[in-house]
Amino acid sequence: MTRIESDRGLSPFDDSGIETSEEVLTEQSPKVWSVSQVNRAVYGLLESSVDQLWVSGEVSRWTRSRAGHCYFSLKDERAQIRCAMFSREADQLPANPEEGTKIRVFGRVTLYEARGEYQLVVRRLEPEGEEGLWRLAFEQLRHRLDIEGLLKDDRKRALPRYPGCVGIVTSRKGAALADILKALRRRAPWTQVLIRDTRVQGEGAALQIAEALTQLVNTALPDVIILGRGGGSVEDLWAFNEEPVARAIAASPVPIVSAVGHEIDVSISDLVADYRAATPSSAVEAAVPDVRVLAERLEQAGGQLGRTLRRVSEGQRSFVTEGRRRLQVAIERQFTPARQGLDRACKQLEARANHLTNRQRMKFEGLVGRLEALSPLATLCRGYSVARSMDGRVLKSTLDFTQGSVFELQVTDGKLLAETLGAGEGDGKDE
Amino acid sequence: MSKSSEGELSLEERMRRLEEILARMESTEIRLGEALELFEEGVSHVKTAGEVLAAAELRVEELLADGQVISFEDKVE
Repeated sequence: MTRIESDRGLSPFDDSGIETSEEVLTEQSPKVWSVSQVNRAVYGLLESSVDQLWVSGEVSRWTRSRAGHCYFSLKDERAQIRCAMFSREADQLPANPEEGTKIRVFGRVTLYEARGEYQLVVRRLEPEGEEGLWRLAFEQLRHRLDIEGLLKDDRKRALPRYPGCVGIVTSRKGAALADILKALRRRAPWTQVLIRDTRVQGEGAALQIAEALTQLVNTALPDVIILGRGGGSVEDLWAFNEEPVARAIAASPVPIVSAVGHEIDVSISDLVADYRAATPSSAVEAAVPDVRVLAERLEQAGGQLGRTLRRVSEGQRSFVTEGRRRLQVAIERQFTPARQGLDRACKQLEARANHLTNRQRMKFEGLVGRLEALSPLATLCRGYSVARSMDGRVLKSTLDFTQGSVFELQVTDGKLLAETLGAGEGDGKDE
Repeated sequence: MSKSSEGELSLEERMRRLEEILARMESTEIRLGEALELFEEGVSHVKTAGEVLAAAELRVEELLADGQVISFEDKVE
């Protein structure tokens, strides 16, 4: 700044120039400058005399034009400077700084000739101190969570394949909820949906989101929870970059799908969650299977059941056939020696029996011969006969016969019927 | 976690059981009797799950801060 004072010789602000004008004013032919000339001269003065510099102050009246250029004021207790940050530099900013954020900027002092206003054209913008820019807070929290291991991939749980209940933590008025419900209706209409409404932006939103999530988890109803909101400015999404939300997600026993803002917005919530979805609708795609895919799977499963059953039963049938064959072989093997033994035994037995019968026969015949010797038949053979009454008594005496009685007479080769005609000669003592 | 009613399997449990049954039936040492039983159970899961998919209409409820669960009215597009 001192150079403005020290640099001389720049018309019309050099001492001589001013004096000249005064002289001109008092005399007759005043030199008249056009506005453009003055501004051009001031522009040149500023450009050539003031080096690029760092300026610190608080942000005020931050605006971003359609083209992406940012305009704001930098102020302290007593003064302010208009600042411009053109889109090429402004696009590098992680966020628009909030009103009152302490920052420092690096740039050059120049003149906006069209307005005759001087301004600071900002090249770099950095947060001043601990609080301030989102980026700083984001990075700090990320670093902390990372050290605790909460961002590790192996903490991420698989989402359930067929969730019955889907929990949703978002604003009941938000576009995200409408998108989520629409996608759920189309994709997984069998699910039960449990919504826990919460503010998703503004003062205290992070705590509310964390509480809502914890309460929903504590019902033990959801199998998976979608946490998020639709797109918005970095400020709008900020609650999802705050620690309470990160802690609640990390503590949840239920898998969490985080869907905050648009594809390009990555939040702390996304980093801690089990699954990061680019948008609310893609969160639904991650959380539930498509009804058509499921129906297809069912059909497939039906076919598979039939096929496997057929395979098992065919396998079983051939097993039975094979088993029977093997059993037969086994039986054969087991019984062949036995059968042969049996055959041999039978033959022996027969031979033995024959042998025995022959002996028996001979013995019997001998016996019969001896018996025959004792039999009355033998006597009969010699010409005697035996008379018997019809009831089988042996008639020995004449007294046993009466005139006209019929009796049986046995001779050696059979029986005859006889009739008593009368007593014969002799005394009847001899028969 | 999401039994629709006492004793009735949720879709998730049904699908999981179905996958188990298929895996078991694919195994080589299964006996015909067991395979038949599993087949019957599997077919009943396929049938019931199919009915669930065909009939279901999204049930949307809201959990209030005081723990109450109420039906959630939203605009169906």
